[in-house]
Amino acid sequence: MAYEQVKVETPLILRVLPVASLLCFFAVWQGVVDFGIVPNSMLASPTQVAALFWEKLFVAEPDGATLLVHAYISIIEALTGFLLALAVGIPLGLLMGWFVLAEGLARPIFEMIRPIPPVAWIPLTIFWYGIGIPGKVFIIWLSGIVPCVINSYVGVRMTSPTLIQMARTYGATDWDIFKKICIPSALPMVFGAMTIAQAYCWTTLVGAEYLAADQGLGYLITMGRRLALPPMVLLGMICVGLTGVAIGVVIERIEKKLLAGIRR
Amino acid sequence: MTTAATGTSSIANEIQLEVRDRKPFSLKALLKNRWFLYTVSLTLFFGLWKYVDYTRVLGNGIAPPEKVVVAIWRLMTDTVAGKSLWGHTWASLNRILIGFAIASAIAVPLGILMALNRYVNAVVKPIFDLIKPMPPFAWISCAILWFGIGEPSKIFIIIIGTFVPCLLNAYMGIRLIEPQLYDVIRMLGGNRRDEILQVGFPAAFPAIFAGLQISLSIAWTCVLSAELVSARSGLGFIIIQGMQLARPDLVLAGMVVLAFWAWATTLIVTYLEKYLCPWKRETSLA
Amino acid sequence: METKTQSKIECRNISKVFIQKGTQRVHVLEDVSVDVKPNEFVVILGPGQSGKSTLLRIIAGLETPTTGTVTLDGKEVTGPGPDRGLVFQSYMLFPWKTVLGNVELGPSLRGLPKKERRETAQHYINLVGLQKFEKHYPHQLSGGMKQRVGIARAYANNPEVMLLDEPFGQLDAQTRYFMEKETARIWETERRTVLFVTNNIEEAVYLGDRIISLQGKLPGRMHASYEVNLPRPREQTEMKFLQLRQQITDASELVL
Repeated sequence: MAYEQVKVETPLILRVLPVASLLCFFAVWQGVVDFGIVPNSMLASPTQVAALFWEKLFVAEPDGATLLVHAYISIIEALTGFLLALAVGIPLGLLMGWFVLAEGLARPIFEMIRPIPPVAWIPLTIFWYGIGIPGKVFIIWLSGIVPCVINSYVGVRMTSPTLIQMARTYGATDWDIFKKICIPSALPMVFGAMTIAQAYCWTTLVGAEYLAADQGLGYLITMGRRLALPPMVLLGMICVGLTGVAIGVVIERIEKKLLAGIRR
Repeated sequence: MTTAATGTSSIANEIQLEVRDRKPFSLKALLKNRWFLYTVSLTLFFGLWKYVDYTRVLGNGIAPPEKVVVAIWRLMTDTVAGKSLWGHTWASLNRILIGFAIASAIAVPLGILMALNRYVNAVVKPIFDLIKPMPPFAWISCAILWFGIGEPSKIFIIIIGTFVPCLLNAYMGIRLIEPQLYDVIRMLGGNRRDEILQVGFPAAFPAIFAGLQISLSIAWTCVLSAELVSARSGLGFIIIQGMQLARPDLVLAGMVVLAFWAWATTLIVTYLEKYLCPWKRETSLA
Repeated sequence: METKTQSKIECRNISKVFIQKGTQRVHVLEDVSVDVKPNEFVVILGPGQSGKSTLLRIIAGLETPTTGTVTLDGKEVTGPGPDRGLVFQSYMLFPWKTVLGNVELGPSLRGLPKKERRETAQHYINLVGLQKFEKHYPHQLSGGMKQRVGIARAYANNPEVMLLDEPFGQLDAQTRYFMEKETARIWETERRTVLFVTNNIEEAVYLGDRIISLQGKLPGRMHASYEVNLPRPREQTEMKFLQLRQQITDASELVL
């Protein structure tokens, strides 16, 4: 028999080292604060952060909302901006990739907007929408649109020319080819865009919340600084990170499900 | 005898024979001409901009294009908070360069080391994975707590922001090297050191460079964020000033100049890559 | 009774089992034995998936056999080394080095002084017919030219044995014919012991002194051995050539 199943193990030390490394990291962190090497006004120890985490699950003071409410608001904002960015960016990118009309009209504007970091729009947004949710969603939308357009555009441009020529020999119109060949062909790139856009949106969210918010995880971090509460700052940061990862995992699962049949 | 004029939606790889004969000037052909459409687009854009300002739909929140141009011009000659436009630009660029240099000096060797040595990887990766998901902006409050509102906190943010992509790209650059290239060196009589120096570094160089490009755009976002929060100089500062003085022309001026420099630095890095890695053939994204 | 000349390479009872993707065992070679005499051109012939590339890599020292031994000039082979030169199917040139840089890689790793390196490299670049292209980068060369650089690079290190792993597999048919002729010419000019792996029967008959064919499915086993007694330079349309080719083809079809 040419093929057979066999078990191979990773050496023990390679499985222990990561765990040991993490434990060391937390121990050093805790020790640095406990022994006063870094003053408690600047850094909070892991135990303090954990304690605050537990407390914030139930208590709204001193920043005005419990942890879950903050997280909820942040997620809703990010999700809204993200979905709107998908809704506008993907069709736009797809059309731009195929129809010269779309590209000609949209591209100059897109290329002008593109180099501007989304955060730079914050002051303008405050002028237009004031401090509140619509402004934040607008900035998140802006940051999510860029990867969506680019990826969809590239996805369409990378359609196999052979398929297109084949369709033309059947007498397909431009629209037919677009609908039936370009779009399905571009799907893997489009889904790649979803992951990237989600990461961008989440990153921008924190920035948007910094300058213009009264709730949300980014706001939590800011309040922590204003109230000189390092545990709150760190708690906010960690929650932002964790939630970002969680959302990323969800999007990835969805992407895998939807792309299950298509292999590229 | 008529021949068809193609030149429709041409896909990058599709070679189409463009056969044109002398047709009368037609609207349809014009609509398919890219440059015409670009011009139309830009005209519409600026026209819309002017119109929005004219009708005061957004109230005082927007300034017409001419005013922005004037603002930029004035910035070059006058000063805002003690610096001219060039001074502010240099302030921002300076922070980016310093932060970027420090971050890449640590991240690139570390990434390469992690890719080459399993033990280093096992120790560093878990900590890196902890830090990776936290957006640079989230660190701003932390940075201000630790370093105050001066230069160090801004540079710190840039370091945090550029560190992750640099390391990731250096790591992937080494990991994705075709294993047979190592075989070549070994067959020619090279040892492990030769493998790393003769194959590892040069082969990973394009990927490392790609990481640098990504880091650069992130660096601009970081420096901007840091300046929006607390600064006395820099392009972000100009934008914030505009906001505080309720001068949308200043805000837009800052944004335009920022966009220009972000674009220019990206262009410089792209050309640098073409010069240093002439063998790299990649599909460029837009 | 023929006198036994010392074999250059001796493979005895080579077997190879790979552990693939962590849990799958793949039995690639089973009990293969090959003897190569000095300056002999031996071709290892087999269809795809017959383990011939693995056999070559074992002789090169890049893989270790699960059982069996490989000796070169009487000494056992334990790892890769400059005494064997390997030419890869996908060229494997260093894209950041010029043609000259690639060819003089071996000598520079051995620490030869610059003048000697240059001369050696230039000699072999001329040998493979790439005289005007020293300063070119691989991405500017065609497939055939790249492979010639690969051959020059292996030669420049002055190996005892040349190992070629389906070197022309990625070239189009006409370039392939050209390269076969070039290989024969180069080998006639600078003789070495050669082990040449291919799946192309004409190529095998055109180039080899002896052809060893492996059976067509895993694990690879020795199937047959053919002596090619045709005088060089050979013609692919000669009667004897075609007869041998037919013989080998018929024998192979039985196994597949």
